[in-house]
Amino acid sequence: MHVVIVGNGVAGTEAALAIRRRLDPSRARITLISEEHPYFFSRTALMYAYMERMQRRDLEPYEREMYRRQKIELLHNRVVDIDADAHAITLDAGTTLSYDRLLLAVGARPRMVPFEGLDEVKDGLVNFVSMQDLDHCERLTWSTTEAVVLGGGLIGVELAESFIHHGLKVSFVVREPYFWPAALAAEEGELIGAEIRRHGIELIIDRELKGIESDEAGRVSGVRLSDGRHLPAQMLGVAIGVVPNVDWLREVKTVPVLGRGIRVDRSFRTSLPDVFAAGDCAEIGGEDETPLLETIWYSAKLQGQRAASAILGDEVNYAPPIFYNSSKFFGIEYTTVGQCVGVPSGTRSLYRKHPTRPITQRILFDEARVLGFSMLGSRWDHTLLQQWIAERRPLSYVREHLHRAQFDVEFGRVDLTKFQEEERTL
Amino acid sequence: MRQKGSLGWLKHDLTHRGPTAWLLTLGLFAFYFILYYGGRTLAGVAIPDLFTPIARALHLPSKWTFYGLLYTLAIAIGGAYVIYKYRHNRYQVIRTSVVIFVQATLAFSVPWILTIFEQPEYYFSYLWPLKMEYFYPSTILAMPLPFILFSLLGSLIMVPLLGIFFGKRWYCSWVCGCGGLANTAGEPFRHLSNKSSKAWAFEKWSIHITLFLSLVTTAFVIASWGVGENYPAFSEQAASLRSLYGFVVATLLSGIIGVALYPVGGTRVWCRYFCPMAAILGLVQKFGRYRIRVKDNMCISCGMCSTYCEMGIDVRAYAQRNQDFVRASCVGCGICAEVCPRGVLRLENRWRRDPQELSMDALLNETYRG
Ligand SMILES: Cc1cc2nc3c(=O)[nH]c(=O)nc-3n(C[C@H](O)[C@H](O)[C@H](O)COP(=O)(O)OP(=O)(O)OC[C@H]3O[C@@H](n4cnc5c(N)ncnc54)[C@H](O)[C@@H]3O)c2cc1C
Ligand code: SF4
Ligand code: SF4
Ligand code: SF4
Repeated sequence: MHVVIVGNGVAGTEAALAIRRRLDPSRARITLISEEHPYFFSRTALMYAYMERMQRRDLEPYEREMYRRQKIELLHNRVVDIDADAHAITLDAGTTLSYDRLLLAVGARPRMVPFEGLDEVKDGLVNFVSMQDLDHCERLTWSTTEAVVLGGGLIGVELAESFIHHGLKVSFVVREPYFWPAALAAEEGELIGAEIRRHGIELIIDRELKGIESDEAGRVSGVRLSDGRHLPAQMLGVAIGVVPNVDWLREVKTVPVLGRGIRVDRSFRTSLPDVFAAGDCAEIGGEDETPLLETIWYSAKLQGQRAASAILGDEVNYAPPIFYNSSKFFGIEYTTVGQCVGVPSGTRSLYRKHPTRPITQRILFDEARVLGFSMLGSRWDHTLLQQWIAERRPLSYVREHLHRAQFDVEFGRVDLTKFQEEERTL
Repeated sequence: MRQKGSLGWLKHDLTHRGPTAWLLTLGLFAFYFILYYGGRTLAGVAIPDLFTPIARALHLPSKWTFYGLLYTLAIAIGGAYVIYKYRHNRYQVIRTSVVIFVQATLAFSVPWILTIFEQPEYYFSYLWPLKMEYFYPSTILAMPLPFILFSLLGSLIMVPLLGIFFGKRWYCSWVCGCGGLANTAGEPFRHLSNKSSKAWAFEKWSIHITLFLSLVTTAFVIASWGVGENYPAFSEQAASLRSLYGFVVATLLSGIIGVALYPVGGTRVWCRYFCPMAAILGLVQKFGRYRIRVKDNMCISCGMCSTYCEMGIDVRAYAQRNQDFVRASCVGCGICAEVCPRGVLRLENRWRRDPQELSMDALLNETYRG
């Protein structure tokens, strides 16, 4: 069997490894294709490479030798066409490759909006998603003193932190009334906002980008905001989210059914025979369900593994585990589990705040059980928090046992008795 | 990408094997060469003794005390930097404070004070087989009883016992001066350790060969003391083995190469590839309570942990497979846990994972199976 995997991100690579674990090279030939970088690298560590905490090579989770040992063939090329009837794909180089099973793990691309003045911009506008974006940022940093970051999400903060590290004057423009309402409540958003400002970034909330200005050479020279304010900038980082990388699929010979992403069922099958999709590019769900689109590392990894099972013929019925995610905003670590935003009205919220340090916990609950956790500033064992949600534990139980889920370093355990508490109904 | 400006260039160059780093290594080599051989004539060339006059000017008894002072200063200043850098992490603050304290007392002032009271210069912070002399009969006989007891019980009982309970780290990251220097003044170079599996394969051989050599040497020296009078040829052999071991392992590998290679090979070249004490502690550690716990399914494979592991352990390999682990070489410095942006890792002393966490594992696997 020849399995061809397009995209060597975490979904594609996990799938390749999972298949190899079960089928040796005599039973499965595996080809892993990417246009971005010949070897799987960790997208999540792009900022550390930009800040020189790591070298490019450190981003690769596996030794290069591993691919040779495991007989996983790597191709550094772009796939431009899919012919599902002929079971073949075409590469940018013109060669065709036939497959028995095809996995599309083509990830996501940065979202873009047709800002005023965008057409004149030839340089200075950066995203922060791919290796090429990193190259681009590095090239531009030398000739930049002021930068603007647009978009109050995770990638935006990482980019702002990197810019500050390089000594740029950074303005961080966020459309929402506080930082990241998509995941945080107002108090936490303001706490992170204070942390962002503490590092010398001008955080501009409740403002939108109205237009981009560029000089004669086409290099970004500044931006205009919705309140008429003008910010000079030689670099504009746009981090307003990502969208599944599906546009190129509209032009291939056999187009799979597309929604916002590549539509797949719960066993990662697309509408095309023997073609599967997983990771950031996949939109999961049957006809009558609201489709599920997860663009986080953990889901991509899990989906890659599950898609591999499906490719090998197992019965797969993917249901995501209880949601969790983590991040770090400068020095503040963040863990969230369960449902914290968009909860039904009437849900109660317990907010706990350390009297002096930027450490908070928020627990969402109703009369019967806890629903979600949003923890800032200290480390938590999310598996235990997940378990409490799964076991439908009431708040009283969780409160009593909360210390068991702490995951701080030795000697560094935060004293949970000191916190100020505030309860309210949402 | 390095930061702008000449300071950015220097920082990058010094910590990424640039010309400045090689220059520093060369300087360190020269320093150690003159320290060890100053005042002697090697192959007809007289090596100047630069450090004895400095020691005299500072009213220090010998150039070795002067070296001890430099070493202590390096640990104190580097330690202050490390404490500042990791001030939010109490494990690092406490550990580094202990390292500085042990160096300033047990490894520097106590032995010096002992000599003032005309006692043998004894280092409570060093034990056999790191300090081979402490098992040589000639040294033992020259020491007062409490020191002899400390040497013997320390090496044979205290080291393995504490190793079982706390792993290698109680010694390598809290007490030992070599580790102390690596974790303080060596901080800017810790990411230079070699992470390849080839280096791991080499380390497994090299460290156990050194251990074997140290055991053989100790056995020979002790045996020659017991039977020496009857077999003068054997005594001679033992004496030359002893001085060969002293030269190659103690002087060359632990002193000169160990420290001078910091800027190009990372901080723990000696500790990782050669230290016989590390070999013993590593074996003990494998059976003890110490381990690094990995939070299930939280790793984003970023690789900060592997990059900053001074022992070249590919921590990420375990973390991304949700695998708690203990590697013989892990010195328990705790930096992997510190730099992990997702708080995935925790150093622990526990016999077993508690069953609660095991059931959670099963629960998650349930969802995986679909
Ligand atoms: C800066 C940054 C930080 C992040 N941090 C976090 C985090 O902290 N936590 C978290 O959970 N998630 C994080 N994410 C999201 C996470 O990285 C993604 O969810 C994950 O990488 C998705 O993996 P994937 O395998 O689906 O796709 P990708 O990693 O995007 O891989 C897709 C690959 O396919 C290639 N490809 C696409 N089309 C073609 C074609 N036609 N031919 C050949 N190759 C093609 C692409 O070039 C790419 O290499 C972050 C993302 C970014 C950008
Ligand atoms: S490995 Fe050896 S030299 Fe290094 S800290 Fe441990 S005992 Fe000391
Ligand atoms: S694995 Fe972690 S604790 Fe062990 S030596 Fe490496 S960085 Fe230190
Ligand atoms: S630093 Fe943490 S998240 Fe990154 S690879 Fe290591 S364990 Fe995983």
